Amino acid sequence: MPDISEYVFLDKNKLDFFVSKLNTRQRVVAPVRKGVKSYAFAEVPSAKDISWKYIPTILPPKKYFMPQYETIQKFDKSKRTWETVVSSEPIVILGVHTCDLAGIEFLNAMMSSAPCDAHYRNRKANITLIGIECLDYCDGSASCAVMKNELPHGGYDLFMTEMKQGFISHVGSDRGRNIASDSRIFTPAKPEHIRELEELRARKKDIFKPEINVSHEELKNLFSQSFESNMWREEMEKRCVSCGNCTNVCPTCYCFDLRDELDLSLTTGERQRVWDSCQNETFAKVASGENFRKKKGLRQRHRYMRKFYYPVEKHGLYGCTGCGRCTRTCMAKISLKETINKLAEEQQNSKEPVLNQ
Amino acid sequence: MTKPRVAFFDFACCEGCQLQVANMGETLLDVLQAIDVVEFREVMSEKSDDYDVAIVEGSITTPHAVERIKEIRRKASVLIAYGSCATIGGVNGMKNNFNLDDIRGSVYGEQARYFETIPTRAIHQVVLVDYFVNGCPVYIPEFVKVLKSALSGIPYRVPDHAVCVECKLNENECMYDKGITCLGPVTKAGCNSWCVNNGNICYGCRGMVTNPAVDGQKDILEKHKIPLAWVENKMNMYNKACEPDREARLNVEKR
Ligand code: SF4
Ligand code: SF4
Ligand code: SF4
Ligand code: SF4
Ligand code: SF4
Repeated sequence: MPDISEYVFLDKNKLDFFVSKLNTRQRVVAPVRKGVKSYAFAEVPSAKDISWKYIPTILPPKKYFMPQYETIQKFDKSKRTWETVVSSEPIVILGVHTCDLAGIEFLNAMMSSAPCDAHYRNRKANITLIGIECLDYCDGSASCAVMKNELPHGGYDLFMTEMKQGFISHVGSDRGRNIASDSRIFTPAKPEHIRELEELRARKKDIFKPEINVSHEELKNLFSQSFESNMWREEMEKRCVSCGNCTNVCPTCYCFDLRDELDLSLTTGERQRVWDSCQNETFAKVASGENFRKKKGLRQRHRYMRKFYYPVEKHGLYGCTGCGRCTRTCMAKISLKETINKLAEEQQNSKEPVLNQ
Repeated sequence: MTKPRVAFFDFACCEGCQLQVANMGETLLDVLQAIDVVEFREVMSEKSDDYDVAIVEGSITTPHAVERIKEIRRKASVLIAYGSCATIGGVNGMKNNFNLDDIRGSVYGEQARYFETIPTRAIHQVVLVDYFVNGCPVYIPEFVKVLKSALSGIPYRVPDHAVCVECKLNENECMYDKGITCLGPVTKAGCNSWCVNNGNICYGCRGMVTNPAVDGQKDILEKHKIPLAWVENKMNMYNKACEPDREARLNVEKR
């Protein structure tokens, strides 16, 4: 039985007031419609601008923790000085799905393991996260259940679940407690709210089932044994066009490039960090002209290993949240779920007992 | 410190890139603080034979142009090719789809024999080029970046990954999601996905990435029921003059 004192209730007709109240103190960003069938996190002046039901946004909320283009240093050649620039502003990210909360948790772990990334840490310190629960699948590309991210596991300040009359909200931090303490907006949760939440979660158990033919626990082994699979040198080599979309939209990718930009004075300038991708042709190209990962298929292998093998070995964490973005955005329609199922089938076939011994 | 003397030249082109530079707005004032423009047909009448940096627009399409670009190369310590015509041959490359005499005839009629002509060449196919600013027209922030690199003597590398990369960083909805074909996946980035940001498709004006995924692309076209010929046509529009470069590269790789 959940501890009722950790929950508060937000009536549906107070939603507007809630968002405008948040807006008085800091920028509020939430999912909004973008184009024909996409969504993006963007500033929302009021609750009516928010798309509460949405498939994962084109870019994950990572862009607020580690912007696509970020000035991290300024320099002056004539004075031979370098100065670190750490900037951040208070932001509330409202309406974050559990898969994306997991993505942020993963980034937090990567960015705070030594050497800690000061730029990331400073932005993070100013970000308030308010999650929202998915009561059904966003679409068929998702694999959040097998990654165990269809339910919240912390990493938020407040987590809202929509019910008939309003949102039951779990307080996840002191900052969340502070928001929830506004009695004009939130009321203490009642036992019937908790009951309704438990019913919703029970129903979810029937909806969210492992989406692939490999268990959470087996995924790592599958990938450790698939290094030499034909999947990479043949299928991926043929199909992938190295557009980089799969990594650029991934909530757990954090590779970046550093670019020094001079001003026209040619003496002062700044160092920018820009998202980079292991799928880009020149990612592994070095000064001599040698390219350590010239093959598209081997670049894809690297991406998959960075999700399902390397970080599990090193940090005990999967680098995939199951958000499905890579599948949705792939120019070549390469599906993460299909890739995994095919690898599993391959492994299965190679293990078939050899008869006539 | 004396400012570097910079001259702008044009060959076969529409002069759109010069216009782009002349129209750059406030940044132009900063640029003019850094350089001394000694020749620029679009905006001034003065001419000069004494320059450090030559910024060249247009493709090489006649024997006369070959001589002229060689002369410019001899005088300039730094040569910047800018615009698709200069960097990849651009739309002028379409000439290479035809027999030269037919082309000459259709353009100059009876006078054709007075006009010598050669297949379209990008500048680097004729003389050494130090810096490239791809694009039709050039994307001004990149032009300025290259100029700064040239003035401070550091290299500038044209990105060799897809326009999609910048398009995603700009969080555009993909044209294919709207049912529209876009050349972003095979085109070199560096323009900040300028066209897509403004609601257009990518026309491939910066030229093809060096290692385009031919099989994968065909797959995509099939899935979207787009005829291959249509895309080839589109790619031809800007990339035709680059064929010798591609063949040379493939030969090197084979060795
Ligand atoms: S690998 Fe794909 S499904 Fe997994 S977190 Fe990244 S984008 Fe989401
Ligand atoms: S992947 Fe799962 S948690 Fe993420 S949006 Fe879809 S249903 Fe929700
Ligand atoms: S999105 Fe698809 S085509 Fe593009 S790099 Fe990733 S796997 Fe390759
Ligand atoms: S709109 Fe064009 S450039 Fe952008 S991601 Fe789609 S294909 Fe690539
Ligand atoms: S988006 Fe494509 S057509 Fe437009 S400037 Fe860039 S490369 Fe050229």
